[in-house]
Amino acid sequence: MSEILWAEKYRPKTLDEIVNQEEIVSRLKQFVREKNVPHLLFAGPPGTGKTTAALALAHDLYGDRWRENVLELNASDERGITTIRERVKEYARTVALGEVPFKLIILDEADNMTADAQQALRRIMELYTTTARFCLIANYPSKIIEPIQSRCAFFRFRPLSKEHVFERLKYIAEQEGVKVTEEGLEAIWEVSQGDMRRAINTLQAAAALGIVTAENVYKAIGMAKPKEVQEMIALALKGDFMGARDKLRTLLINYGLSGIDVIKQVHREIFNPRSTVKLPEDIKVEIADLAGEVEFRIVEGADDEIQLSAFLAKLALIGKRLRSGGRS
Amino acid sequence: MSVRIPWAEKYRPKRVSEILGNRKAALELYQWVKQWSKGIPKKKAALLYGPPGTGKTTAVYAVANELGYEVVEMNASDIRRAEDIERVIARAVNVSSLFGAKGRIILFDEIDGMSGTEDRGGLSEILRVIEKTRIPIVMTANNPWDPRFRPLRDVALLIRFNRVNKNTLTKILQNICVKEGIKADYSALRLIADMSDGDVRSAINDLQAIAEGRRVLTVEDVKALLAKRYREYDAFTVLKLLFSSRSAEQAKAVLSQSELDYNDLKEWIHENLPLQYSDPEELAKAYDALAKADVYLGRIIKTQNWGLLSYAIDLMTAGVAMARRHPYHFVKYSFPSRMLLLSRTKEARQIRDRVLERIARKTHISKRGAALEYLPYIRAIFYANPKMGAGIARWLELNEEMVKYIAGDKEVAKRVIEYMKPEVSVRARRRSTQEKLF
Repeated sequence: MSEILWAEKYRPKTLDEIVNQEEIVSRLKQFVREKNVPHLLFAGPPGTGKTTAALALAHDLYGDRWRENVLELNASDERGITTIRERVKEYARTVALGEVPFKLIILDEADNMTADAQQALRRIMELYTTTARFCLIANYPSKIIEPIQSRCAFFRFRPLSKEHVFERLKYIAEQEGVKVTEEGLEAIWEVSQGDMRRAINTLQAAAALGIVTAENVYKAIGMAKPKEVQEMIALALKGDFMGARDKLRTLLINYGLSGIDVIKQVHREIFNPRSTVKLPEDIKVEIADLAGEVEFRIVEGADDEIQLSAFLAKLALIGKRLRSGGRS
Repeated sequence: MSVRIPWAEKYRPKRVSEILGNRKAALELYQWVKQWSKGIPKKKAALLYGPPGTGKTTAVYAVANELGYEVVEMNASDIRRAEDIERVIARAVNVSSLFGAKGRIILFDEIDGMSGTEDRGGLSEILRVIEKTRIPIVMTANNPWDPRFRPLRDVALLIRFNRVNKNTLTKILQNICVKEGIKADYSALRLIADMSDGDVRSAINDLQAIAEGRRVLTVEDVKALLAKRYREYDAFTVLKLLFSSRSAEQAKAVLSQSELDYNDLKEWIHENLPLQYSDPEELAKAYDALAKADVYLGRIIKTQNWGLLSYAIDLMTAGVAMARRHPYHFVKYSFPSRMLLLSRTKEARQIRDRVLERIARKTHISKRGAALEYLPYIRAIFYANPKMGAGIARWLELNEEMVKYIAGDKEVAKRVIEYMKPEVSVRARRRSTQEKLF
């Protein structure tokens, strides 16, 4: 067995293997028994098992023939109306193979679909109900238009409990023959909270270094994070605006991060107790306010590089104030 | 660059009877649209063609207004791929009118502006729409004789718009001057008309540039100001003028004196702000103004409310200039590097895209999700444990180039790649044994 990403290797294949979200799983099993599924909307934060549940449902429903009867699309990559009209419609109108009379169409990250595409989808959901059922997956269900929401059975996925995460991490470590310390697990929990994917990825990156101790966990996270975020903040606070802007461009252009990803990471860094960037507590709050404004503007349609540059210029000013001891 | 209401808009004829230039063509369009109230005519589309500024679009709106139609327009600013067209048409046909209009006219403005790549399938989609349509379709073009328009020419009623002759044009300018309360010499207006080459829009724009705010207009004014228009300010001069402005007005005037548009200016200012302003107070204040201007530009795109443009420009010019606390000093300005950077890193970004695609496919996540949730950890594993990294790289079916991209470091990539090819060494060993046999 070659090394693969553990988050994928240990993804539960069937509903029975899913240990958390009991209530959801029992309702899904009911659907499988009846061989009838309504349109579904799975909502909840990342890493809580939405995609896993959808794939497991497909597996349990169709058995070995699940690949022939399931279309899996990621709306973030194919969010336009063309995909909805062409691929989904084409797939939805053809008859299912096997004893289940309909196909399953999994639309992941559906909250990133354009409004037009959602309208088109709504019509398709109505027209082809007999031959296709939809499972929409979203982080933010409020971004799904009302008429679609009202056509779906709604399932809210919650962040996993510490117990569940630890249980799973220990199981994986055992299977992989990796030693894990209690502090190591705590450190993983600190950065991942109830996000199972992040927890497993962190576990694997730490295990790549050896025993999963707290030290190795932090070391792995340090290697995983683009160091440019911290450097950018430090340069700006030091007053080297040009240097900071160069780092920003590296993040946006070379790493291909979106402006929103960058500002979120900056925000996390400011409040990270282990960060090398040390700031007075009230200044952290001030910067959080600035960061929130940047994110809001970018979401509204402003240019990310210009908004983030303006943010860095403000950091430079804050840095100057801190050095001169003034706080006005 | 003007932020006032353009006179060409303000005085655009609202009825066919107000149209002076190309009135015959406008009447022909009027008759054709009128036929639709009695049933679908034989030609279901009209193609209005002729040089810019000869009243094609104006005629469509005037006719529509007069006959109580609403115009649904797709112009060069919209992307016109087949699916975009289909979407707009579907709306035009299905959604009932908010304003109680009788019906709708679909206008494909400037079809020669349709690009082969961006608007893929657009022309054939228009043709399909014409075949099926139950409402009038109007297209405009500068040059209808382009071979790719042939199928459209065959199905459309062709209406020709000529360059507007100078007498008519002068008359149009006179009418505007009367309404604006400007006493203009006939020879001054005639000169503007002479220079416009039968393009009404550009003549009116010139008139506005020269005469707005004046009570009297002489031929001397026209000569002096037209000469000034040709004096080009390059971007460096614009920046110098902007940063050395002493008043908000002076700063605002900079853009109207140049050939630069506000988007270019935004890039130039963004690039050069830190060069000009070394004091953090100045820099933060100026960037704040530029960022706010950018917010307004975003809102304009989103809401199409062009009235907001003047605020964006105030902030971008006066806002940036008035951040200065120290005396102006000359600096050597740079060309905006963002665009250069994007083209220089194009190849790397393509590799990144392919890497993310591979990860996304294996892990049931979007490419953006792959970039955020997996890529960093894979990179960390490459550093920490090249053997495990190689396993993952093989599982993701990455090639060397992709491994190098993820590692971002030559040495790290080399170590991972070495672990990726055990079969090479096996084959190499086998070959050497074979050689021994011979």
